[in-house]
Amino acid sequence: MDLKWSSRRIVLVAAVLASLAAVAVVAGSSLAGVSSHHSTTASSVIVDGTTDTVVNIDPANEYDYGSFTVDLLIFQGLYGFPHGAKLEPVLATGCKASANLKTWTCGLRKNVKFSDGNPMTSADVKYSFDRVLKIKGDQGIYTLLSNLKSTTVSGPYTVVFHLKAPQSTWPLILSTNAGYVVEKAKYPFTKIAANTDPQYGTGPYELTKFSPGQQAVFTPNPNYWGPKPKNGGLIINYYSKSSTMKLALQKGDLDMVFRDFTPTELSSLAKTKGIVVHSGNGVVIRYLVFNVKDAPFDNLAVRQALAYLMPRQDIASRVYHGSVQPLYSMVPKGLPGQIDAYKTLYGASPSVAKAKAVLAKAGVQTPVPVTLWWTPTHYGDASADEYTEIQRALNASGLFKVTLKSAEWAQYSGALGKQYGAFQLGWFPDYPDAEDYTVSFYQCGAFYNNQYCSPAMTKLIEKERAARTTGARIAALKAMQMLAAKDLPTIPYWQGKMIAVSKSNVQGINGTLDAAFYMRFWELSKS
Amino acid sequence: MAATTPRAALQPIVRAAKPIREAHGIARGMLWSGTAITLFFVVLALFAPWISPYKFNQYRSGNVRFPQLAHPSHKHLFGTTVQSSDVMARVIYGAQTELKVVVIALAMALVVGVPLGLVSGYFGGILDRGLVLIMDALFAFPYLLIAIVIAFLLSSSSIGSGVLTAAIAITVAYVPLYFRVVRNHVISVREEPYVDAARALGARPRTVIRKYVFFNVVQNVPPIATLNAADAILLLAALGFLGYGIQPNQGAEWGYDINRAVSDASSGIWWTGLFPGIAIVLLVTGLTLLGEGLNETINPVLRRRRFGRIDFEPLADESEQP
Amino acid sequence: MAGTSLRTYLLTRLALVVPMVLILLTLVFLLMRVAPGDPISAALGGHVPPALIKQIRHQLGFDKPLLTQYGTYLWDIARGNFGTTITDHRPLSQIITVNGAATLELTFFAMLIAIVVGVVIGLVAGRYRDTPLDVFGRLFGIVAYATPVFFLGLMGQLVFGVWLNWLPTSDQASPITQALLKTHTNILALDAVIDGNWSALGDVMKHLILPAATLGLATAGIFIRLIRVNVIRTLRDDYIEAARARGITERSVVYHHAFKNALVPVITVVGLNMALLLGGAVLTETTFNWPGIGHALVTYLENRDYTAVQGIIVVFALVVVAMSVIVDFLNAYVDPRIRY
Repeated sequence: MDLKWSSRRIVLVAAVLASLAAVAVVAGSSLAGVSSHHSTTASSVIVDGTTDTVVNIDPANEYDYGSFTVDLLIFQGLYGFPHGAKLEPVLATGCKASANLKTWTCGLRKNVKFSDGNPMTSADVKYSFDRVLKIKGDQGIYTLLSNLKSTTVSGPYTVVFHLKAPQSTWPLILSTNAGYVVEKAKYPFTKIAANTDPQYGTGPYELTKFSPGQQAVFTPNPNYWGPKPKNGGLIINYYSKSSTMKLALQKGDLDMVFRDFTPTELSSLAKTKGIVVHSGNGVVIRYLVFNVKDAPFDNLAVRQALAYLMPRQDIASRVYHGSVQPLYSMVPKGLPGQIDAYKTLYGASPSVAKAKAVLAKAGVQTPVPVTLWWTPTHYGDASADEYTEIQRALNASGLFKVTLKSAEWAQYSGALGKQYGAFQLGWFPDYPDAEDYTVSFYQCGAFYNNQYCSPAMTKLIEKERAARTTGARIAALKAMQMLAAKDLPTIPYWQGKMIAVSKSNVQGINGTLDAAFYMRFWELSKS
Repeated sequence: MAATTPRAALQPIVRAAKPIREAHGIARGMLWSGTAITLFFVVLALFAPWISPYKFNQYRSGNVRFPQLAHPSHKHLFGTTVQSSDVMARVIYGAQTELKVVVIALAMALVVGVPLGLVSGYFGGILDRGLVLIMDALFAFPYLLIAIVIAFLLSSSSIGSGVLTAAIAITVAYVPLYFRVVRNHVISVREEPYVDAARALGARPRTVIRKYVFFNVVQNVPPIATLNAADAILLLAALGFLGYGIQPNQGAEWGYDINRAVSDASSGIWWTGLFPGIAIVLLVTGLTLLGEGLNETINPVLRRRRFGRIDFEPLADESEQP
Repeated sequence: MAGTSLRTYLLTRLALVVPMVLILLTLVFLLMRVAPGDPISAALGGHVPPALIKQIRHQLGFDKPLLTQYGTYLWDIARGNFGTTITDHRPLSQIITVNGAATLELTFFAMLIAIVVGVVIGLVAGRYRDTPLDVFGRLFGIVAYATPVFFLGLMGQLVFGVWLNWLPTSDQASPITQALLKTHTNILALDAVIDGNWSALGDVMKHLILPAATLGLATAGIFIRLIRVNVIRTLRDDYIEAARARGITERSVVYHHAFKNALVPVITVVGLNMALLLGGAVLTETTFNWPGIGHALVTYLENRDYTAVQGIIVVFALVVVAMSVIVDFLNAYVDPRIRY
C-alpha cells in the first residue's frame, strides 16, 4: 500500500470539502442579504420569542403555561376572557344554573366551525369533556373538572353539566383549558394526540407547523367565526436561555418577547433604543410554603417571626428592579375580594423587634436553625438571588441561621411538602379569580402536601363554593385570607407584573396585559 | 539492596528527575512558564483568605452594602455581581474551589486507576481482558457526558451537589485513562530482561511490581496527570456552566459565574464573565504548558538532550598516530 | 503478518463491537436504575395522584423484575425502538432524526474547521520547530484548547453578533426562513439545496459560522499538537535522512515526504476528536440555542425524563462505537501493519 497515495487522497478530499464549505459560506453570506427582500410578503407576521416550553398541545393533557399559550390560539371553551379580566361567554351563548346549583344548562353559539370547515355541535362539546375525564392525563388538568359528574346534550346546540356538589362558579371552570372544545371526529377518545399531529380547534389561528423545542407557526384560521386577527400570522420561537433570546430581539430576529427575561436583562432592554418594555397588572405570585407539622415550622411563633422578617421591599427592588411588587395575601391585587391580610397582621416592612418579641414570648431559643428550599431554573435564574436576599435578611436579624438548599424542578416538584420543611413556589392562575388563589392552597390535602388542615378553613371553603351572591362569596374569600394570615401555612411575598418586550413598531400589547393573564396575540399588529 | 539511607531512597526520584534537569530550549521555557502560572494559582488557592479583599459571598462591608453590578473601580477592582459580591474575591476563592475539586478528583482517579492498571497489566488473563473491554468502552465515550450523568444522579442523592459530587463525576470520567496508560506501560515493561530475571530468581509478583515496574511506569504519570488536571478544570467549569456544579452559597466556581454572567453580557456588563473566563484560560494554559514541558523532557521521542562537554583523556603516547 | 486480509480484519474488528456495545448499554441501564427517587413521579411533577403513578409505572413496565426490564431494553434497542419520552411524549426516534441531524450539521462543519486550522498550524509548527512560528503555533493551540467552548462562544456572540453586527447569534436559521423551509432530510443546509432555495441556504450558512467556528477552534488544538508531533517524528525518520543523503532539496523532502506521511494519523485523530466534539457540541448547542441532540439531552436531564436520557446516551454510545470501528478500519486500510 502506497502511503504517499493514501495521504495524498486524504489531503485532496479535505481540500475539496473545505473549499466547498468556503464557497457555500461566501455565497451564502452574500445571498443572505437577499433574504430580507423575500420577507416583505411576511412582514405582517409577528415573531415572538419565549423561554417557556411546550409539553402537550392536546388540551386534554396540558397544564403548563407554554402549552397553554399555544392552545389559547387554536382552541376555545364555552367561556373565556376575550376582552380582559371579565368572564364572558365565548362558544356558549349563556349558561343557567338549576336552583340547587348542581345542574348547569348552556346554549351553544351557532355557525361555529372548526379549522377544517366542519361545524361544531353539542356532540363535540360533550366528547371533549368526557375525553378529559376518561384520559386522566398525567399533567393533571382533569382535576379542574373534579366536580363534574356527567355531561349530557339536549339537541345540537344545548349542553347540560351535572355536578357532584353545588358550585356557583362553574362558568369559571368552563373558561379553563380543561374546557377546550376539540373536534370529535379527529381526536381519539383514549389517547392524547401527538404534538406534531394536525390540530383542529375553533380558535382564531390554526397551527400549521410545530417543530418541538424550536418553533410553532400559526396562520389565521380561514373558518373562524369571529373577527380576523390583526396580523397575518404568528411564529413562536423557543429559546432555552433568555440571553440568546435577548440578543435575537436586539438584532431584529424577533418582534417581541413574552416570558421571560432576567431582571438585569429587563433593565438593560428598558434603556435600549427601539425597544419598549410593556408592563401591566400581573397575577403571578411567589410564596414560601411551610410544612406545618415539620419542626421547627410546626411552632406558630417561628412562622410568625418569619412573617415579621420577610424582606419584601428588598426583593422587589434589589432582585427584580421593580418588575414585581410586595404581596400581602395569596390573592394578588387586581382580583375582586383581595385584602392585604399579611400587612394588617405583620406590618408592611420587616420588623426585627416584633419578631424577637414573638420568639421570646414562645420561649424559642435563637438563632433558630432553619433550612429553606428553592429551585434554580424553573422560576428563572433570579430565584438564586431571591433566596440569597431572604437568607441575608434572616441571618442579619440574629434570630435565624439559614441554610439554603436547592433541587431541579423535576425532583423538586415531586418532593415539596413530603420532604421539605419550607420551600419556594410560584403560581399562575387556572382562572383569574380569588377562588383559584385560596381553595387550592387551603383545602386539606392541598397539592403541595404541607399538612395544613383546618376545620374552620374547610367550612369557609364550602361557604364560598355554595355562595349564591357575589357579596357572600367575597365575604367568605376575605375571611379565608384573614384566617390564612393568622394560621400561616404560607407566606406570600411578591406579585409579578405581566411583562412583554417588543420593538417599538408592535401595537396592541398594552391592551392585552391584564389580570386574565392571556397574551391575546390576535390583537397585535406591526406598523 | 534494600533502601537504607535516605539518600539511597531518594535515588529513584533523582534518577527520574534527571531529564528535567537536562531540558533546554523551548521545552525548558514551557516547563518554567507553566510552573510559574500554576504556582501562582496554587498560591491564590492556598492563601485566598489573606489575599482576597473580601469573602466570596460577602455583600457588604460594615453595614454598607456593595453596589450591584458595579463597574470595576478602586474599591472593587473587578467589579461586582448581580448579588453584590466582589468579582475578584470570587475569582480568587474560585481558584480554591477548582484546585480542591481537581486535586480530590485526580487523587481518587489515580488511587483507583493506577493499581487496577498495574494488576491488570502484570497478571493478564481474564481479569485483564474484562477490565480492558470495560475501560475501553468508557474511554471512547465523551468525558463531559459521563460527568454530567454522574453529577446529575448524585445531585439528587444524599450527597447533594457540591465539591464531592463534582469530584466523583470527574473521577469516573478519568479512571479509564490512567488505567489504560499504566496497563500499556506495564505490559511493555513486563517483558524487559531485568524483570524476567527477577522473576526467574524467584521474586514474588508484589516485589517485582513494587521495585521494578512501579517506578518505571510512574514516571509517565506526572505529565499525564498535569494535562489531565487541565482537562479536569475545563470539565468542572463545564459542569458549573450547565448548573450541575457547586451552588453559589457553597463556594465560588468559575463555570457557574460564567453561566450567570451570560445574561449580564448581553446587557453590556462584561466584567462578571470576562475575569472568571480569563482565569480558566490562564490556569488551564499553565497546567498544559507544564504538562507539555514535562512530556517533552521525559518522552524520549521528543526529548532533546543538552550536549555536555566531553573531555577525552589524552592518549598515553601522543606519538602513536594511526 | 503475511496473508492477513483486510476482510479478516474487518470481521474481527466488528466482532469486538458487540461486547463493547453491550457493556455501554448495560452501564447506561444500571446507571439509570440506580437513580435515587422514583423517576416517574420526578418526571411528572407534583400534580399526579399515587394511583395514577402506579398505573403509568405499570404501563411502562417499571414494576417488572430488573432482569426482565433489562431483556426488554436490549431487545427494543436491537429492533431500533428507543421508546417515547415521559415528559413530552415524543418518540425517541424523532428526537434522533431531527435533533441528531442538527448536531450532525454542526459537528461536520466544526470538524472541517478544526482539521483545516489544526493541520495547517500543526504542519508549520512541526516544520519550523523551536522557531517563533512553532512557539506561536503551539501557544495558539494550547490557548484555544484552554478556552472553554461556552466562553469562546459568548465572546464570539458579543463581538461578531452585537458589536460588529455581522453574524446572527443563535438558532439554525432566522424564524421566518425556518418556518417556510420544507423538511426533507432535517439537515437544513441540504434541505435548502434540494429545494433550490438559495437565500435560505445563505441564511443557514450564516447561522452556522459562529457555532461551527467556536467548536472547531476549541478542538483544533488536538490536531495541532498531534500533527506537529508527527511531523517532527517523521522528519527524523531514516528514509528522510536517506532522501536528504540522495541530495533531494530540503523543501522537497519536507513537502513530498514528511508532510504526506505526517497526515496519515489524521484519521485516528478525527476518531479521537469525535468524543471531544460530541462533548463540546453539548456546550455549544446550549450557548447558541442550537436544536441538537446535546441540547435535548441537557433539557431532558433537567426534567429527569429518564427514558429520554437513556435513549440519547445509548445513541451517543452507538455513534462512538461506530466511529471507532470506522477509524480502525480506515487505519488498517491505510497502514497494513495495524491489521492482526
